[in-house]
Order: sequence, then structure tokens, then C-alpha cells
Amino acid sequence: MNDPDRRPAMVGVGVGIGLALVASASVAAMVHNAKVRLEEPAAAQAVAVADDAEVAYCTPAFKQVLQRVINACGLAGTEQRRGCQPADVKTFASINDDDFNSLFTPLKDRGAVVMFDENADALDPSGKELLEQRWLDRRGARYFFIVARASRDGTTEGNRALSHKRANSVAFYLKEATADPDLDKQVGMLWLGSEFAQLPKSFCEWPNSRHDKACTPEAINRSAFVSWVDCRL
Amino acid sequence: MRMSSSRKAAVAAVVMASLGFVFAGYSTYDYAAQLDRQVHAVHCSFIPGAPVSTDADNPCKTALFSPYSALFRATWWGGIPVSLFAVGAFAFFIAFGVYLALGARSRRAHPFYALAALVPLGASLVMFFISAVHLHVFCKLCVAIYVASLALAAAAVAAWHANRNDAFALATTAPSDARGAQAPAEGWGKVVVWLAALGAAVVLPAVAYVAALPNVRPLIDKCGTLAVASESHNGLLKIPTAHPVRPVLLFEDPLCPTCKAFHERLVDEGVFDKLDVTMALFPLDTECNWMLDRPLHPGACILSKAVLCGGNDQARSILEWAFDNQESLRELGKQSASALTSKIGERWGAEITSCLAKPQTTVRLNQQLHFAANNHIPVSTPQMFLGTKRICDEDTDLGLKYTLAQLAPEVLP
Repeated sequence: MNDPDRRPAMVGVGVGIGLALVASASVAAMVHNAKVRLEEPAAAQAVAVADDAEVAYCTPAFKQVLQRVINACGLAGTEQRRGCQPADVKTFASINDDDFNSLFTPLKDRGAVVMFDENADALDPSGKELLEQRWLDRRGARYFFIVARASRDGTTEGNRALSHKRANSVAFYLKEATADPDLDKQVGMLWLGSEFAQLPKSFCEWPNSRHDKACTPEAINRSAFVSWVDCRL
Repeated sequence: MRMSSSRKAAVAAVVMASLGFVFAGYSTYDYAAQLDRQVHAVHCSFIPGAPVSTDADNPCKTALFSPYSALFRATWWGGIPVSLFAVGAFAFFIAFGVYLALGARSRRAHPFYALAALVPLGASLVMFFISAVHLHVFCKLCVAIYVASLALAAAAVAAWHANRNDAFALATTAPSDARGAQAPAEGWGKVVVWLAALGAAVVLPAVAYVAALPNVRPLIDKCGTLAVASESHNGLLKIPTAHPVRPVLLFEDPLCPTCKAFHERLVDEGVFDKLDVTMALFPLDTECNWMLDRPLHPGACILSKAVLCGGNDQARSILEWAFDNQESLRELGKQSASALTSKIGERWGAEITSCLAKPQTTVRLNQQLHFAANNHIPVSTPQMFLGTKRICDEDTDLGLKYTLAQLAPEVLP
């Protein structure tokens, strides 16, 4: 048979089959390669994971204090009573007064000193206002610290009790004002009485609730230092 | 011997079909590369073989990740790219064009070719319309395919026209017995065979593609779960939808382009309105988010607050407004907070702007960020949790429909 259409048709069919096979084989190879990469992926890039803040002042020494407050002072569970005895602080921190206070120095702008009247544990309006301001400025912090003290007036036992009351006073006010259901898992308290880590007068320069009044070494220690703590454990 | 006009037009059609074949091949290659569930750059040039584009938001990437780039997505992860059907179709048009260029004698061949070439042109017109109306971008590879389809159709019609003229000239000049030899009586059998061949050419690469696909089903629910399912202050947003049937938690950033694309994908697929949406805002902006070392989307904190200020009723509208105006809002965010706040006030009124300044708004946004931190989610957006199960990032775009078909078929239309 001498069909003039035969030759072009045969070439066309040949080209068509060839292209279809090439296309199918290429596609199968592309998918296969992807399958191989899927089964043996290249080293995955490290992906940042959301977490609480961790800033420069979170030194091992600072974290030691933080860890102790969390574990031993009632933060880990809500059943236990909160706060450490001053003697505990001395034991676990194993550092002197100045070193202890210097741990908190980087918190100067983050925290504040809520001041109390002599021999009193009631918060005044400016103390409450300052406390609320600091509480609202949480940012990425996981824990809120209350470190209460008493001045050296009075007995050691009495000052210990007084600083405990001041810490509680701050915590109770926060509970009442914020109604935050997570408060018990966030707020850690230390009460130091007058026997450990008294604040030097330089702390009068820190944000405090009585900047319009004279600040003496006694007055700055009738106080509760409060701050969010931007450290992870 | 001088080549006839119809053959010249057929050669032109072969060239155009070849270009279409190459561009469709590149597009398919880019699509298939994503099947490894990793991130890849894509080709986006009119020059075949040009290097891949490193621009993260190039239009070809937008087109590739759009719901219109593939078929059967609910059946196979990623579906079958439409460009793959184009590869098969162009292969057929090359082969048939060669047949015509070599002097096909069948009198139905040219009209068949011209009419069949309208199919890729029609498909290109549909995709062009989608690009213009839905995607608002034109990917260079896609445009090259549209142009190749148009030129192919034009060349095929020209070949038909020229062939008719040649036949007419022959009919009027050749002796009557020669005329009878040129145009023998012919049935429709060949047309049926050609149509079958076109169908086979279109389907064959797709069959090869599907046969080689990896099984990703075991991977889609291996991306973690929520450690803390609820936010203790009830600080998350509830977004009302039309027919919520499945609880979902979304982490979103109003200035994140991927969030915008993801949101549009959910809406376009008809999925969003079947989700019972709880939303946590996760702005990638250091003004409020401590988890970053630099602001990726300056202004996202302010816009997130605006979404929160909208409350459950207005939050979706404000979020979608932010998505729709992302580029200009991002520029304002880079300029200053006050410029962005003014823009928000201009659109949403003084009530929203005064709410932005309230400490409670800052606290609520902070609670949402802490919710993310408590769950240790990856620092990226968007993120979707079906119930407490995290949907992998790679399953929120190409694999979204397949993943939903597997894990929550009730949300698919």
C-alpha cells in the first residue's frame, strides 16, 4: 500500500510516543527523587521554639536563687506554704549579703521597691499603684518575685515576722487586684527579716513607691522588692 | 522545494507547543520538588533554564501554593499539578504538528488540530482569569504557558486556513481526477483516534506521577500536640463562623504573608466556615514578642491588639482587612506606631484606637503569647491545631486538603 499519509503519520506517532514516554519517565523520576529526599531528609534546620524570656542577668547564681524559691519556697505546688525562712536563704545561696543583693542589680529598671511605714505591713495607695504597674508589665517573664525585708529596728524574730507579713500583703493585694488564676504558679516570695541582705542606701535610687519622701537606710529596708524575672528554669 | 504556508504554520505550532512543553515541564518540576515536604525555591522566568528565584514571595510561588495549581488534592497529597496535564497536552500538539508539517493528507487533520488547540487556550484563559481575579499576581512561567497556548492556537488556525486555501487552489487548478485523489472520502475514525491519543497523552504523565507518589499519611499527624489546651484567663479569641463542626486553634500574625495565604486558602476551599475557630495572635514583632531577636513584622503587635479590640464579632473583619492591606500596613508599621495607629483609627474608628492604648489589651495579647510559650510551639506563623493535634507546616499549603480529608473530612465541602 502506498498511502502518502503513512510516513508523516508514523513520524508523528513516533514523536508523540517518544515525548509521552520521556515526559512520563521524567515525571516519575522527579517524584521518585522527592520520595528519596522525604525518606532521607537533609539535616533539619533548628527551629526556635516559643518559651519564656531568658535575659542576660539569668546567671547560674541568680538561677540558683530562683530555683530554690520555686522548689523549696512553695512555687512548685500550690499546696505548700510559700516563702523561705531567712536562714534558708543563707544556706542555699551560700553567698554574702552584697553578692545576694548584686544578683538583683540588673532588675533596677524592671523591678521596684514598695515601701512600708515603720512596723507596718499595709500597702499605701502609691505602693498599690506601683505594684499594679509592675505586674502589668510582664512581657516574657515566667515568675514574679517578692523579696520583703524589715529594718534593723526591733528584734530579729519580730522583723522576720514583719517581713513575712509584708510579703503576704503584696501577694494578697495582687491576688485581689488581678484575680489572676495563675498567680499561685507565678509569684515567689522571700522574706529576709533584718538579718540577711539588707539593702544599702544606693537602692533609694531605684524606682520606689515613696520617691517624694526622704529615703534612709532604715526606710529602704521597710520594703518589698518586686519584679518579674525573665529567666527560664 | 518551497514549503507551503500550511506547513510553515504547522512548524510554528510545533515551536510554540515545544515552548509550552518546556515551561509546563519547569512548573511541574517545581511542584514535584515540594513533595519532599521541604522548602524549595521555584523557577520564575521567561527564559527556560534560568536559575530558580530566591525571592520568597515571587508570583510563581504564590501560584504554585494556590488552591488552583493542582487537581485531586483531597485524594493525593498535593494533588496532581495542572501543569502536568499541560505537559502531556503540549507533547501531543508537538507530535501532531510534526505530522502536519510533514504533509498530512487527511482533510480532517488541520481542522482537528485547530479545534483541539483551543483546549489549551481555553485552559490558559481560565487560569489567566484566576490569576487576575483571585491571585492578583501573574507568574512568569504561567504567562509563558498562556502565551505559548495562544500562539499555538493561532498557528494551528493559520495552518488550517492555509491548508483550506491550498486545497481550494488545488481544486480550482488541478484536473478533476487529481482533485478526487487529493480529497478522498473520509470518516470520523481518525478523529476518534486522535482524540483518544490526546486523552492518553494528557493522562499518561499524570498516571506516572500518581504511581510514583510517596505515602505521606503516616507523617501528617506527627507534628506534636498542645501541652496546654486552654488559656487560663480565657484570653483567646473566638471567631464566629457559619457552620462550625470542628474545633481548631490558629496562631496568626496579621502582617505575615503566609498567614494571609493560609487564611485565603481556608476560605477559598470552603473550609474556614466549617471550623470552630479559636485564635491566638502571635505577632512576629519584638515590640511585644520577646521570642525574637529582631522584628520580622514591625507593627504586627499594634495590629494584633486591633484584632483583639475588635472582640469576637469584629476580629475576623479586622484581621482580613489587615491581610488585604498587608503591604501598606507593613510600610506604616516600619514608619511609626502612630502612623499605623492613625490608619487603624481611620478605618475602624476611635473606639478601637482608644482600646489599643488600654493596659488590658496589652495584657491580653501578652496572655496569648504566654499561651504559645507554655505550649512551646515553633516560633513561626501560621500554625493550626485540629483539636489538640498540630498540623505540620507543610500540610498547611500543598497538603492542606489531603490532610483535612484524612483528619477532619467533615470540614471539606
